[in-house]
Amino acid sequence: MPDLEQQLTALAAEIEWPPTPRLHVSMPLPARRPGARRASFWSEGRGWGFPIRLSPRLSRPLAIAAAALVIVAIALAAYPPSRDAIARWVNLHTTIQRVPNPPTPSPLPSGSTGERLHLGSPTTLGAAQQKVTWKIAVPSTLGQPDEVYLKEPPSGPSQDEVALVYTGRAGIPTSRLTGVSVLVMEARGKFDEIFFQKTIGSEGTIEEVNVGGHAGYWITGPPHDFFFTQADGTRYFDTLRLAGNTLIFDDNGTLVRIEGDLTRDQAIQLGASL
Amino acid sequence: MEGRPADDPDLITRAQRGDKAAYEEIVQRYQQIAFRTAYVVTGSAADAEDAAQEGFMKAFRALDRFRAGADLRPWLLRIVANEARNRVRSSGRRHQLELRLTEGFRPGDAAPSPEAVAVAADERRRLLETINALSEDDRLVIASRYFLDLSGEETAAALGIPEGTVKSRLSRALARLRARVEEAASA
Repeated sequence: MPDLEQQLTALAAEIEWPPTPRLHVSMPLPARRPGARRASFWSEGRGWGFPIRLSPRLSRPLAIAAAALVIVAIALAAYPPSRDAIARWVNLHTTIQRVPNPPTPSPLPSGSTGERLHLGSPTTLGAAQQKVTWKIAVPSTLGQPDEVYLKEPPSGPSQDEVALVYTGRAGIPTSRLTGVSVLVMEARGKFDEIFFQKTIGSEGTIEEVNVGGHAGYWITGPPHDFFFTQADGTRYFDTLRLAGNTLIFDDNGTLVRIEGDLTRDQAIQLGASL
Repeated sequence: MEGRPADDPDLITRAQRGDKAAYEEIVQRYQQIAFRTAYVVTGSAADAEDAAQEGFMKAFRALDRFRAGADLRPWLLRIVANEARNRVRSSGRRHQLELRLTEGFRPGDAAPSPEAVAVAADERRRLLETINALSEDDRLVIASRYFLDLSGEETAAALGIPEGTVKSRLSRALARLRARVEEAASA
């Protein structure tokens, strides 16, 4: 009988894999917008917008995602601060323009806030503080969070992530999609500015800001991916959840993200109050 | 296993300069191994397809950070595999990877390797069933190294573990597989 490793090598030729989908690239030149600084790749005139498109064979998950996108856009359009962002989406996804009478936004999906936003396990501020290695910063202008979540590996970063949820605060719209006004995420790590800018995409903008003496970034635009370098040197990928504007800054090795339909000044004020 | 054409650096340079065709060629060249790697990680063809698409998009956005002279394939696979793992994490579910044999294969068909000819069909089927019954960690490392033919660096990227851990994990997985195969043979 052949050696086990020889058998495994032989088996490789006989494994039945799912058919590989044909990916192809479609790269329209992005429209430049004046004002806020663009990610450097695009600024150098080498960007192409959304670079990858699947072949016409649209898979069912993508069809579902497209339908969900329409619903998300319609619901978000109810909020004035989101309209600019939605308009940019409309330019990219013309199907949104064909919806004649936007229906009433769907009720919140079932499940807790933590489940809907994949924030981890519910906990208390005190319990979370005992678990993590940094001093959890709470924005004094918002007061105590309504909910606290802790996300540990393997679903969370290597040194955990704490989410402070504010379901409603005066002067800050509550998302009908998420039921959340402000989300504050904290994790040990650092961002690489250049790499970080690449993830913003052609429609996003990023602006350097000072948050109570800490270097930070004010990000606007459609929902975008986000990744940072964890304390162990590996990268952690995530998505900014509230599809609104986001402030990110480095608080002495703790990466703080404040997400919500906030103005730039509101967000900086919140960040400085940590 | 897909080859690694010598002109990858040229394609990268051209893509970094804005040559759309060059990036298309990179995508076409590596889409199969990227998709299969994502499939091993997610256990779902649909999730793997999405992960491969997103992974190539992110790779494109990060292309000018690609280190000159580095190997393109492990870099791409790392990004795609990261995307695949994130999808598993965010969905809170992982489909169990269930590997199957290609139907209709017979030794002698499609120019199998000499080793393939030597292994009887029922032995191959039982071996794969045993692999499918292993723990997730064991299945993934065996599938990555033997079925995807990934290098140690690429396996580390696909599984999100240090390269040094790949060897020890693979060794332990093979030991457990061998024990189960021997146990089944003596039963």
